[in-house]
Amino acid sequence: MSWNKPLPQPTPISAPFWIGLKAHQVRLQRCEDCGQWIFFPRAHCPECASPKLVWRDVSGEGELYTYTIARIPTLPEFTDEMPQILAVVQFDQGPHINTTLIGVQESDLRIGMRVRPVFDDRPGEVTLLRYTSIESQHSAVIAAEQQSSSQSTAELVSQVSRRKISCKDITAMTSLVSEAFSEWSNEYLVTQEIIDEFAALSGDDYWIHTDPAKAREQSPFGTTIAHGMLVHALISRLKMPMDFEIIDFNNMVNYGSDRLRFSAPVPSGCRIHARYRVKAVESVRSGVQMTMEINVHVVGQDRPSVINDQVILYM
Amino acid sequence: MGLKGQAALVGAAQYKPEKYTTAPRMFHLQQVAELAGLALADAGMTLHDIDGLAIVGAQFHEAGVFVPAMVGEYLGVALNYAEVVDLGGASSVAMVWRAAAAIELGLCNTVLCVIPARMAPMGANDDHAAEVMKTSRYGGHSIRFGAPEAEMDLPYGHMAQNTGYAMIAQRYAAVYGYDARALARIAVAQRFNACHNPEAIFYGQPITVDDVLNSRLVAEPLRMLEIVMPVAGGAAVIVTRADRAREGRHRPVHIIGCGEHVQSKSPTYARDMLATPIGPASRKAFSMAGLRPADMHMAQIYDCYTITAMLTLEDAGFCEKGQGMRFLKDHDLTFKGDFPMNTHGGQLSFGQTGSAGGMTQVIEAIHQIQGRAGERQLPRHDLAYVSGTGGVMSEQGALILRGA
Repeated sequence: MSWNKPLPQPTPISAPFWIGLKAHQVRLQRCEDCGQWIFFPRAHCPECASPKLVWRDVSGEGELYTYTIARIPTLPEFTDEMPQILAVVQFDQGPHINTTLIGVQESDLRIGMRVRPVFDDRPGEVTLLRYTSIESQHSAVIAAEQQSSSQSTAELVSQVSRRKISCKDITAMTSLVSEAFSEWSNEYLVTQEIIDEFAALSGDDYWIHTDPAKAREQSPFGTTIAHGMLVHALISRLKMPMDFEIIDFNNMVNYGSDRLRFSAPVPSGCRIHARYRVKAVESVRSGVQMTMEINVHVVGQDRPSVINDQVILYM
Repeated sequence: MGLKGQAALVGAAQYKPEKYTTAPRMFHLQQVAELAGLALADAGMTLHDIDGLAIVGAQFHEAGVFVPAMVGEYLGVALNYAEVVDLGGASSVAMVWRAAAAIELGLCNTVLCVIPARMAPMGANDDHAAEVMKTSRYGGHSIRFGAPEAEMDLPYGHMAQNTGYAMIAQRYAAVYGYDARALARIAVAQRFNACHNPEAIFYGQPITVDDVLNSRLVAEPLRMLEIVMPVAGGAAVIVTRADRAREGRHRPVHIIGCGEHVQSKSPTYARDMLATPIGPASRKAFSMAGLRPADMHMAQIYDCYTITAMLTLEDAGFCEKGQGMRFLKDHDLTFKGDFPMNTHGGQLSFGQTGSAGGMTQVIEAIHQIQGRAGERQLPRHDLAYVSGTGGVMSEQGALILRGA
């Protein structure tokens, strides 16, 4: 899968920094005249204006200067990293760097904590410098090939014992109605390949879904996004934990949807999951009608990408 | 040294803030002409009184370069002073003092300071519109080759204002402590003020501290109701010579102090992200005016976030560093209170009209000093402190205004 996020374009001035990261080595510039350590890379010392700067290998370690946890992606391309821990690290040499923290529990975050580099090789052409707690077990390198395997679908869904509820028992049926949502389903990776297959199948091959290069340049989302109808269809792949089972019917019909909203994009390469609640139960002439509100989210995102009030008719 | 108070604000006009989806689309040239006409009428002046222009050029629709010449030509006025100001949300304050300085130097008599902030109509094959869309999604971050932020920030998702201000707030919490209820008081008091301002976008929608604390968490520790909503708008003010100002329709508002400080593009690279540029800017403004923060009758403080306003209170000297939370709890910030702040509702509740947002604070100070603030009129209304903030605490400016 191609890296669909903004990438650095090394310049003649900054190239040694990126070449260093590629070799899993952090390098900083140091002023030969005043001894100042410098980040970001420059052609002069911002302390004394000297042009005599040299690149030095450093450990890359430092302290967490500050951080925030982005609950809404700063750009749609980062949706798959939600919630994302954006951080400023202060190198032991003094300068600050923008990065993200990985392999750290939110509850363990402390400003001033010791952090160490994690070299992220996934983008391919460059290596990004992320950080983790010095105590974390996280490996010091994220290999390029790790990406797809680490995001493969976890099909494990907690199998709770299911209550059997007769569709003819309207009181029991009505008791299922709830404001609270269920636990999450398994996660499913929405790849560009799936989006392309859906485009071929449905005939909706609009470039905003199928042309990553053009989407990067011209789409407001900066990357290709899944068709709303594809995400809707993928609900079948998301096994939501249900603690009940409806019985005693002769026929069960998917009667369609009372409401179908595509309320947020699903960028290519994101994992999705879903949860549901029983929104309404009512007796109708032919039987009992149950409305399930199913919300599909990109993993880590508060706002649902698809809201579907699915109506099921038990006859 | 410094301004001598020989220039005054005499007229102001602004579009009522509106959601982008419903606001009319107008060419920026057209907006400039309309806003200039309204502000001049307010001042009791005519187009041909104008011989100076300060304008925000960064997002100007009809031109990327030579903006003042195009605008002067379109208006039909010749200019003895012409300038594009590129200081983001600090531009409003910056334009006003530049206008005053140009007038005191004798370069010109009357300056139009104007910021069009409604969207422009889209043309067929509009490359500019596509370019604006492409750059605007990066929220003021440059994506050009060689820009440090394009290379070092964007690949990690460090982008736009929310997370930058959130990281400042988190750092503040670690160094000085944090009281979310105290900060929420800013949003609540300003909403109260906005509920007495029919022009405000959130007029008629009061909120409580609990509403703020229960609003959606956007980026720790910032919540939705502590963050401005960008809306369409636009504003203009007229600055003229003090002797001409006396002949105007309203009480002249003299510019007696100003200061400006530009620190860094990203707070990450500031030596100390909690020492905000409004400190040096405000010290300069107060010393120029020969006044102290306690002398002010009102504070119209740039409030893109509650944390921005709180840090300004501290660094401008309204309270000591680290005492901001206590200050917020000890004072009533409404127009009825002992520390009237953002009496129009602030940008949090009046609406952040894009790059014209800072002008809402300048205009409220003018209206208060002129005694034209209606229901919100302050009993003491001679001296105002006004601040402007651009980027993520990148650049800030301060004005001290005094009624004649």
